[in-house]
Amino acid sequence: MLLLILLIPFITGFTLLGVRNAAAVKVVALSSAILTLFLTVSLVFFLPATRFSVSWINFLGTDFSLGYDGISSIMLLLTNLLFPFIILAGFKHEQKQVPVLYALILFTQSALIGVFLAQNAFLFYVFWELALIPVYFILLLWGGANRRAITFKFFIYTLTGSLILLFGIIFLYQLTPSPHSTDFLAFSQLIIPANTQIWLFWILFIAFAIKMPVFPFHTWQPPTYTMASTQGVMILAGVMTKMGIYGALRFLFPIVPLGVLFWQNTVIVLSLIGVIYASIIAFRQTNLKKLIAFSSMAHISLMVAAMFVLNYYALQGLLFQVISHGVTIVALFYMVYSIEKQTGTLELPMMGGLKLHAPKMSVLFLMVVLGSIALPLTAGFVGEFLMITGLFHQSVWFALVGGITMVLGAIYMLYAYQRVMLGNKEVNYESKTDLKPLDYFFLLPLVLIILALGVYPQPIFNLVEQTVKSMQNLLTPATEVMSAWVH
Amino acid sequence: MSALIFTTVLGIILLYLGLTKNKTILSPVAITGLLITLILSLKDWGLDSKYFHDMIIFDNFSIAFNVSMIIITIIIFLFGIDYYQRMELHVAEQYALMIFALTGAFLMTSFSNLIMLFLGIEILSIPLYILAGGKKASFRSNEASFKYFMLGSFATAFFLFGIALVYGASATFYLPEIKIYLAQFHGNLPPMVMIGLLFIVIGVAFKVAVAPFHFWSPDVYEGAPTLVTAFMATVVKTAGFAAFYRLLCMGLLPLPVPLEKALWVMTGLSLLIGNLAALRQTNFKRLFAYSAIAHSGFIMLAMLSQHDTSASVLLYYTFVYSLATVPLFIIFILVKRASNGLETLYIFQGLYKKKPWIAVFTTILLVSLAGIPPTAGFMAKYQVFVLSISQGYLAISIFAILMAVVGVYYYFFVVREIYTESDHLHPIVVSKLNAGIIILCGIAVVVLGIFVWKLPI
Repeated sequence: MLLLILLIPFITGFTLLGVRNAAAVKVVALSSAILTLFLTVSLVFFLPATRFSVSWINFLGTDFSLGYDGISSIMLLLTNLLFPFIILAGFKHEQKQVPVLYALILFTQSALIGVFLAQNAFLFYVFWELALIPVYFILLLWGGANRRAITFKFFIYTLTGSLILLFGIIFLYQLTPSPHSTDFLAFSQLIIPANTQIWLFWILFIAFAIKMPVFPFHTWQPPTYTMASTQGVMILAGVMTKMGIYGALRFLFPIVPLGVLFWQNTVIVLSLIGVIYASIIAFRQTNLKKLIAFSSMAHISLMVAAMFVLNYYALQGLLFQVISHGVTIVALFYMVYSIEKQTGTLELPMMGGLKLHAPKMSVLFLMVVLGSIALPLTAGFVGEFLMITGLFHQSVWFALVGGITMVLGAIYMLYAYQRVMLGNKEVNYESKTDLKPLDYFFLLPLVLIILALGVYPQPIFNLVEQTVKSMQNLLTPATEVMSAWVH
Repeated sequence: MSALIFTTVLGIILLYLGLTKNKTILSPVAITGLLITLILSLKDWGLDSKYFHDMIIFDNFSIAFNVSMIIITIIIFLFGIDYYQRMELHVAEQYALMIFALTGAFLMTSFSNLIMLFLGIEILSIPLYILAGGKKASFRSNEASFKYFMLGSFATAFFLFGIALVYGASATFYLPEIKIYLAQFHGNLPPMVMIGLLFIVIGVAFKVAVAPFHFWSPDVYEGAPTLVTAFMATVVKTAGFAAFYRLLCMGLLPLPVPLEKALWVMTGLSLLIGNLAALRQTNFKRLFAYSAIAHSGFIMLAMLSQHDTSASVLLYYTFVYSLATVPLFIIFILVKRASNGLETLYIFQGLYKKKPWIAVFTTILLVSLAGIPPTAGFMAKYQVFVLSISQGYLAISIFAILMAVVGVYYYFFVVREIYTESDHLHPIVVSKLNAGIIILCGIAVVVLGIFVWKLPI
């Protein structure tokens, strides 16, 4: 079953390379993604837990082993939920080299599934890098202006982090008792001296910090998001940022708990700086896509801060927010794309009064915006509320800063909404049509998910309950060691 | 041994075939001959046969390296079928010289006596001096040949002087005896032996183009005919490192401290100079010359982290490196033909538009050299890092990993050009045979990356 979920997108992707008809390619890709989603849902919610393992490179202690726990389930669910929408986003207009594009998108999906299923650090790393390559080509071949330089920067930036992570993996590998192994289980059983954990933490963390991105490792992000095609940016913002969060949860907490405790406040402060910084820049943007890119960075930074608070509420909120942020950001970028199609521009000062032409679009946009600013009864609220509760337990000041960002977020998102939709500016827009049936197919399910999870978040909590508890237990002894070590 | 004799005879046969002026039979004969050599070599697996009073020893180590070099030479000759169609004169000599060089390479992997190593290096080098000047009318080719010859002679002189000094102290050329002789000093070697060993190492380091003895390589790579460059970058390098490994790890262990320090400095410098200089190159062949130096640095890292798997890692690394490098040089030749003989990186522009499949496999080969999974190049680097980190060389490993990022940078510079659209639309002609081999090499690079092996050598 696990292997099936991993292989369906991959094999479909390969098959697509041989198909000539563009419309057929899109339909096949979409059905493959829906099938994967269906399998994932049944796997996560209904079927008993399984593992898949075959021996691979014995002399390097590496098995091809797949499995999943609560965190992986969340990530899998999100990835496979979003990919049908990402593919659907391409149905609206003509694209060049359709078979290659959709093959690359499906390869990305397969690699991401691999990242979230891998039970072995080496396998994780292979998939981690593998996910980067199709995305690199999606950005390079279908990106916007100045894509050569920007894609290059993105690629080198993320790869530097990955290679440092590789060093960390090998270092851990040779610490394991002989015969060495790269299994996560073997890694988490290691007892690493506190001094080592303190530097090892950064070796492992940098790759994830770049991917998420955490301040000050974020400089690749805004230009990449702005330049990327709609589908590219959806993959990047919706799913690939979550890779960073997943990696951090998978590597840091079980393997270097003392390192986490040592650097806890540093990382929280960095993240909160990132939150404020991104919010302020978002505030000053005149380009809608850039504004949303920075707002995404602010949200992710808040999630990182919550992750390092290490408390029950914050972790639950974080994992919930993973889903909610993914869904919301994809919907937002789809809105951006539709608005750009309508108005022919992304510059806020040039827009206004779109509501007069497209009232239905304006309603849906408002709902997505409200989800993004975490209004009660939307999914964003549940996640952010829990995270800020968690931050409050750590320090009132952290919670205060986190709370301010919610206010800032509300201001700039509503400001953007106002500039785009409201007013009665007479602008010569390229087209004056409202939403088409296809847009409803895309937006309605996402808006429904945002609302449904906001009203009834329990299924997600049930999914992660056990894992969050076990992470708590993992860190309790570390806290004691840490306090003993400090005194 | 039969393999060694057979290659020598094969070279002579090829020379005589040149008299018939029939170019078409040369490559089939050469390739069949090499396939027979391959079988003859494999027949000796596990026998550890020794010849000439133990001057040569065909153990598994040497057979594994010989087989890998034969395979790479066969690939080069397969590409040669198309390449040499366009040459009028002296085609037979080119084939024969490469075969002779290969014979020298066999000696370098299987010596156990310093004289044999010297003979091997010379038999390998002299054909190369001639091959580098293969384009007689080209000024740069002549320059390459002359430069290579002059600097090569210097290195040989160093090497011989080193042998003489070691012989003067220990009264033997035989490696195991030298090892016993060195052991009695417990690390405090007399200056004469020390200098002797250092000179020997310098001589070999020159052959494999390890910094700071690399200055010849960019010029020679650039000037030599491209197929010869491919041969030098792969087979010669493999032979050189096999010899280096045999010399250090089978003859001189434990390494005397000053020598070890010198070798670490060479490793660090190769990584640094190779990668940083490659960043600034706009000529494809020079880029590959510097990146070859950088790869030498990684190989040195594996060699110096002595462990019982070092030899296997060395073999794997050199083999997958060669497997990716040879087709890339061929693609370069094809692209160069389509752009009026320019050699910059920009000639790759539009390759994806014109030949999408070739472009995809070029990308795979470059990705392998850059060391990104799931290719063999990644597994090779991974194994090197596993070795060096588990032997506790953390600082240099981190340094090497950062340098690997630089490597990705310049290889992806080429990748980026491939997918950039261009204005000039000369068609790129790829014969079916060439395309087939390029694609096979690309597939092999991925398959070797997934099914990693370790040989008991």
